Amino acid sequence: MVSIAEPIAKPASRYRFILDRRDVLGSIMVAPAILYVLLLVGLPFLLAVYYSVSAYTIYDPSWRFVGLSNFRQIVNNPVFQETLANTFLFTFGSQLLGLVLGKFGALLLMRPFPGRKIVRALIILPWAVPIALATVAWEWMFDSLYSVINWTLISLGIITRSEAPNWLGNPHLAMLCVIVVNAWRFFPFAVVIFLAGITSIPQDVIDAATVDGAGFWRRNYQIILPMIMPIVAVGLIFGIVFTFTDLSVVFLLTNGGPVGATSVLGFEGFQVGIVSGDVSHGAAISLFMLPVLFFVVIGMLRFIRRREI
Amino acid sequence: MNTPSRVTRRRLLKDTGLALLAVGSAPALSTPFISRAMADTRTLSVVQWSHFVPAYDKWFDNFAKDWGTKNHIEVTVDHIPVADVAARAAAEASAGSGHDLFGWNGAGGAHLYRKFLIDVTDLVESVEKKYGKITVIGRQIGYNQDDKTWSAFPDYYINFPVMYRKSLWDGIGMVPDTWDNVRIGGAKLKQKGNPVGISLGHSNDPNTTWRGLLWSYGAAFQDESGKHVVLDSKETVEAVKFVAALYKEAMTADVLSWSDASNNQYIDSGVSSLIINPISAYRTAQQLNKKVADDIFVMKPPKGPVRQIMGGAAEFYGIWKFAKNKEAALEFLKYYADNWVEAFKASSGYNNPIFANIVPKPMPLLSDDPTSTPHDKLSVLQTSDEWSAVPGYPGPAWPATDEIYNDFIVCDMMAKAATGAMTAEQSVKWAAQQCESIFDKWLHRA
Repeated sequence: MVSIAEPIAKPASRYRFILDRRDVLGSIMVAPAILYVLLLVGLPFLLAVYYSVSAYTIYDPSWRFVGLSNFRQIVNNPVFQETLANTFLFTFGSQLLGLVLGKFGALLLMRPFPGRKIVRALIILPWAVPIALATVAWEWMFDSLYSVINWTLISLGIITRSEAPNWLGNPHLAMLCVIVVNAWRFFPFAVVIFLAGITSIPQDVIDAATVDGAGFWRRNYQIILPMIMPIVAVGLIFGIVFTFTDLSVVFLLTNGGPVGATSVLGFEGFQVGIVSGDVSHGAAISLFMLPVLFFVVIGMLRFIRRREI
Repeated sequence: MNTPSRVTRRRLLKDTGLALLAVGSAPALSTPFISRAMADTRTLSVVQWSHFVPAYDKWFDNFAKDWGTKNHIEVTVDHIPVADVAARAAAEASAGSGHDLFGWNGAGGAHLYRKFLIDVTDLVESVEKKYGKITVIGRQIGYNQDDKTWSAFPDYYINFPVMYRKSLWDGIGMVPDTWDNVRIGGAKLKQKGNPVGISLGHSNDPNTTWRGLLWSYGAAFQDESGKHVVLDSKETVEAVKFVAALYKEAMTADVLSWSDASNNQYIDSGVSSLIINPISAYRTAQQLNKKVADDIFVMKPPKGPVRQIMGGAAEFYGIWKFAKNKEAALEFLKYYADNWVEAFKASSGYNNPIFANIVPKPMPLLSDDPTSTPHDKLSVLQTSDEWSAVPGYPGPAWPATDEIYNDFIVCDMMAKAATGAMTAEQSVKWAAQQCESIFDKWLHRA
């Protein structure tokens, strides 16, 4: 007769108290994400704050405390004042243009037409194409000598060679160009946001409005837009934060020119802090964006909350 | 019958933990073997700008690799766009890690990063003993006046001669040998559809060219000591007024948005009557448009009321203190200096020597270039030491001069007056204030 041994009970793991407690385990699981944010966002932020109140430069990496004098100096500099104004114009101009284009893009994509799936896929391209590559193409389109836009206008007999706009050489046109390129980049995101918002509206609400005699514009601006406003506002927060801190389009397309007309805070901070090695002033310029963005974001979040109530 | 094992939370965590432990410990376990392998192969990494004469990059890469093969050193050479050099240097210095040998282009580097670079005084002095005295430009590039040391090895500089379409200038019976002639003749040629093309945008070329014009009018933004801003002067106002007139009479608004390549394209396409640029514009024309290339002639920069001088772009190598193979970097530079004539030829005469006798005159390719008609078309470039200076002139280059360069203050001073955004006087005042605040900052006066 074969006797079967009784299974020996495994000793309880010393970590059992962790594994069996959901609250502790939850904290452990979320810890890497928090650590990631602290290390890659929090620490550089604190470092930037410290740099901005010091005399730290690449040439003389000493941590001499200078209080708010870096901020005083940049605020009194006319170049910085112009840069700040440019940043607002660039950010809100490109967001507004992107939203308008996004809204109409979304409405067009809602309608059935042959090849709609392909168009939907292609519309994401501006987002997917590397910005360096895309800007080179835009630079060619705006080129002072070989602009394809000018060439087309001249070929169609709309303008003459002497009337051709100097896209990147005229301060106003150059700002328009960087706004257009940035709006072009933001446009697919806006389309996705509007599509998500519009498709989430119950069809019976729109049908009811149509039966009540609301036309296309009234349906769009008095029913659809107010209903999707919270989701649009979230997208807008994202767009504003990223555009306000962005330097790539300006750096690649105009290098801040002509005569500083397209210089924005991100570009100026990079030029002063990295290229010229004056880290403390560069940090002060970059940190100047923080209170502005803080108030914009808080204002928009409050707006969203009110709308949801 | 086996029942499928249930994946519990505890099991998942255990398995994941074990997997992570295994992956995490792999480098630690393999490190002794890898480091031994690394020790057997010495390495040298170099980074420098993508040269405007692509054949030079090809030559340099092979040259460096051949040297590495002879010395059992694995050499890697990275080429980056010229506009990215400054940001890359900042990144490497901040991280305390990067390439062994760093090649700078234009302003910045030798003085800005001197605390991060090893002292190469012995190297420079040994090359000076062998190949003759270092030029004034060479001294401006890498020498530290305060402690008489060298923080960078001056490799070469790029000169900016006048390149003009001889047939067009002959047609109006003028020679663009003075700034006044450039304006007067340029205005006539603009009427015929051939304007002058000097950039007023934000890039290296206008930073260099307009400094040259400023100096030729007897103005400068700092004095010889490098301690005082002297930009706000009647000479500067005169220079700025001249640029405004030159822009209105002889150029088109296109120049406000130009990059460094634009003026090359402008003359190579046959439109422009004159540009001020390194000979890469001519070399490109030789490949693209032989007829135009044959008509492009090269001369010294235009004479100003006070002197005949033009800006030049400095090129130099620094060795980081944190470099993994400083000895190899020093040895490579010694060998490179000994073979500099080859480098000169590979650059088609674009790289100008810094040491007096490193390329004896008559210089190959410049004195007698078989690809040019006539063969001595480029011979004037042999004298470029006499009419070239680098940013900072007449004082030393230091971080403040580099910042003024990087912020395009001199270019914007000219452009503000040229476009009518400010009067010449206002524009000079604006630029002087900008320079003052930068000087105050770097001299810790602020």
